[in-house]
Amino acid sequence: MKSKITKWLGAGAALMVALNATAAETIKVGILHSLSGTMAISETSLRDSLLFAFDEINAAGGIKVGGKSYMIEPVIVDGASNWPLFAEKAKQLLEEDKVAVVFGCWTSVSRKSVLPVFEKDNGMLFYPVQYEGEELSKNIFYTAEAVNQQATPAVDYLLAQGKKKFYLIGTDYVYPQTTNLILYKYLLLHGISLENIGGGLRKDDSGKVISAGKYTPFGHTDYQQIVSEIKQFAAGGDACVINTINGDSNVPFFKEVAAAGLTPADCPVVSFSLAEDELRALPTKDLVGELGCWTYFMSIKSKENKAFLKKWDNWLSTEDHPGVVKEKRAVDSPMVLSYDGAYLWKKAVEKAGSFDVDKVREALESGDISFDGPGGKNTMQKNHHTTKNVYIGDTLANGQFKILKTFDAVPGEPFLLKGLDEKLSAMNK
Amino acid sequence: MKMTPRLLVAILSAGLSWGCFSARAQTPPEDATRQKLVQTILSEGQAQQKLLNELADSGVKVVRDVLTAWQRDGVYLYDDPAGGTKVPILLEDQQDADGKARGIRIIDGQFVKDAAGKELRFASSDLNTAETDMRLRSVIQQSVDTLALASANPEERNSAVLKLGNSQKPRYIPILQNRLTKETNVEVRRSIDEAIALLQLADTDPKVQIAAVQHLAQLKAIGSVDNIKKLMTKPGANGDVVKACQSATNVIENHISFVNFIGTIFHGLSLGSILLVVALGLAITFGLMGIINMAHGEMIAVGAYTCYVVQNIFGTGFGFTITLPFSFGGKMIHFGLHLPGLNATGWTYESYFLVAIPLSFLMAALAGLLIERTVIRFLYRRPLESLLATWGISLVMQQLFRMVFGANNVQVNSPSWLLGHFSINDVTFDYNRVFVIAFAIVIVIGTWLLLTKTPLGLLIRAVMQNRAMASSLGVRTARVNMMTFAFGSGLAGLAGAFLSQIGNVGPSLGQTYIVDSFMTVVLGGVGSIVGTVCSAFGIGTADEVLQQTTGSPVTGKIVVLMAIILFLQWKPGGLFASRSRSLD
Repeated sequence: MKSKITKWLGAGAALMVALNATAAETIKVGILHSLSGTMAISETSLRDSLLFAFDEINAAGGIKVGGKSYMIEPVIVDGASNWPLFAEKAKQLLEEDKVAVVFGCWTSVSRKSVLPVFEKDNGMLFYPVQYEGEELSKNIFYTAEAVNQQATPAVDYLLAQGKKKFYLIGTDYVYPQTTNLILYKYLLLHGISLENIGGGLRKDDSGKVISAGKYTPFGHTDYQQIVSEIKQFAAGGDACVINTINGDSNVPFFKEVAAAGLTPADCPVVSFSLAEDELRALPTKDLVGELGCWTYFMSIKSKENKAFLKKWDNWLSTEDHPGVVKEKRAVDSPMVLSYDGAYLWKKAVEKAGSFDVDKVREALESGDISFDGPGGKNTMQKNHHTTKNVYIGDTLANGQFKILKTFDAVPGEPFLLKGLDEKLSAMNK
Repeated sequence: MKMTPRLLVAILSAGLSWGCFSARAQTPPEDATRQKLVQTILSEGQAQQKLLNELADSGVKVVRDVLTAWQRDGVYLYDDPAGGTKVPILLEDQQDADGKARGIRIIDGQFVKDAAGKELRFASSDLNTAETDMRLRSVIQQSVDTLALASANPEERNSAVLKLGNSQKPRYIPILQNRLTKETNVEVRRSIDEAIALLQLADTDPKVQIAAVQHLAQLKAIGSVDNIKKLMTKPGANGDVVKACQSATNVIENHISFVNFIGTIFHGLSLGSILLVVALGLAITFGLMGIINMAHGEMIAVGAYTCYVVQNIFGTGFGFTITLPFSFGGKMIHFGLHLPGLNATGWTYESYFLVAIPLSFLMAALAGLLIERTVIRFLYRRPLESLLATWGISLVMQQLFRMVFGANNVQVNSPSWLLGHFSINDVTFDYNRVFVIAFAIVIVIGTWLLLTKTPLGLLIRAVMQNRAMASSLGVRTARVNMMTFAFGSGLAGLAGAFLSQIGNVGPSLGQTYIVDSFMTVVLGGVGSIVGTVCSAFGIGTADEVLQQTTGSPVTGKIVVLMAIILFLQWKPGGLFASRSRSLD
């Protein structure tokens, strides 16, 4: 009997030793996305692309700091599309799990809600989804498209195509409102007259324009009146529509556009919230020829992108993380920007030789941290935004984009409103 | 009436495969044109645009076919191993089993052959396309438009004419005048007239300009307002011209408000019809039977998903697998279904919707029957419990949709006969909107006939008015309840079939419409079908009119809701308060 116990103990001890010998150091990294609720459809894809990036980094030997290899241990929390809950979960990640960095958030309101937590606890957040700018926290790094990496290049492109009338339409919340206000000023600056900017203006008591464009609430379904207005607006030719409608409402909008006979050849619609992932659920037949503008398209023909897509498919067929959907997957810009963010952080940590937030921030701000991602080279700038390529494409029937134009290495710039105001007042004098 | 784009594509591709590329003797002018086409495709920049403009004047049919194909990335460049040059080719429409098709050389319309004289087959993905950017495509479009002036189809001619008019390039005037002498179609003649006047605005002689402006005012040409205003504000504009522009703008803007007025009423009718279609089922289950049916929205979703499944069966087939979230005896439990597709194309495929409509009714009615038998029949006269139970059912059904169809919305493509529109006096009538108005009228009349002219309707009314009395006279009330609930659910399914044509089909589809449905039924007066009809059209029209006048889609809704609340304070019974005993 006794011998049996000692044998077990011996075996146990041997096992412990073995474990200690093989297990490398680990570092905890937070993933903060909505895995339930309305935003789950979009945000779970970002969790998947982050898990893919972490698995890839771990398989390649982890993160090397001070001669040691650290394996990434993801801590996944669910923000549940509930903005105050995002703040609580952020607090949990930073104070209880003590993660080195957090990747997460989709909606601007969730980012605004976690921002004070990250500033108080001096955490680090990587934010991957196109947003309205006018924000810069020392604790947030924006791998997302700033307005000048999506909206203004698209307008530049349309201006170059000879478009003279712009109709602005969006969902009523902070991203479309801010983006359209920037575009309104940008268009004025480029010689488009007031009556050629459609959708209406709202002014405050002092006569200052505070909102430009037409807005509908989330989940709006009746676009008859708006589309007939667009049709009259476009009757004189050379018109286009800038669409910042988010989510489901795009379906009734585009069905109405198609039924009213507004064709992309006459009046193209450029959308900022529709990427390949969203197109899977839209009647793409009604969207053929409409435009999109992102810093990544699945159809990019580079070597890096082809390799990336192949690895992604392999990962999907072999991974065993719970809850990852394997069929009918598409890759889009926010997913790739999440993936790029993981690598930018890895490179910064290795450069700083530490996981300490202040040191990593210093490394990221140095301007030397760049990563050749699937969409091209990403370089983190001092202003916490990245320099990257911008692509404009038109929608094909298979839900992919055909790339029409590439703007190389556009530096992200969060603060556009102030500069535009100054230029406009200089122009008016 | 405007041509639907899809029909256009179908006609064009039919023309492509047969019209001119079958190997046949070429006439000399066509040979020269073909050579120029090849030259155009292979050149670049300014030279390419110049060649395109020349091609536009050729009037040869092959040019139009090739240019249209080019615009849609249908022209490929084949590297000829013998000559070492790039040969522009088109692919035949007919593909073999590997998805490959014969290539047709643009230069002579012959099939591409290898050295041994064997016909080569290509897959489109293996070939390089002759690239186009948006600017090039718009130049191609203009050439196609000029060519389209001679099209056999009046719709195509019409849109081509207007495009030329908006281009503001006076060089098109002689082309259009020439066309006017040949044109017989009244509408196209009117458009040519308008286009010539538009082009004359760009003239330098003020007299010509004034005549053109006055003519445009006479025509009430909405599309010309921009150009007239531009002319008016041009620095150094002639005073008389400005005056003429001013009065023309007034005339046309009056016309625009008239168009908007009629358009708004039409939009109101169509929105009202949607509300009516959505609420009619509820008017039966809630209005007549008194069940607060929170799962009504999910019955709509059943109809919409039926439409999706039918569409897929007509196409490539439909299948799903469900894996239960727990294991049984160490094994995961999967079950699924696969329905093979008919792979129908053309009109057979487009008619899927006609099959889907009755099936949507049936499926939703079956779902309703099931719910009535299993849950609701135990809860008659217990409104609070039935509210909770049906709410639970709605959650269960939503989760079921997620498991079977996925959490994302699914794609339902409208058949081409529902896409498109026609215009009368500049007011646009979308086919799908006209369809919904007719659809609403048909099902309201159907429901009315069923309730008043059939034995079943008599029984339904008897049971709803006084259950105990009906029962004692020998009516099988349980059975009548079951039939009524199934009928109400079936109507919701019909609504779903239609909604799939204008909006999203997803697990939460029902949630979007449940509030509107209750609002319509309550405002109309619970228990009154006439009330539901009136309130649906009333809400629809009021909403659209307010949207139009306030210019904001939200303000209209808020005002309508406020008005409804105030109205119900004043008349709690709704528009048509009924005095049914079942509601006591």
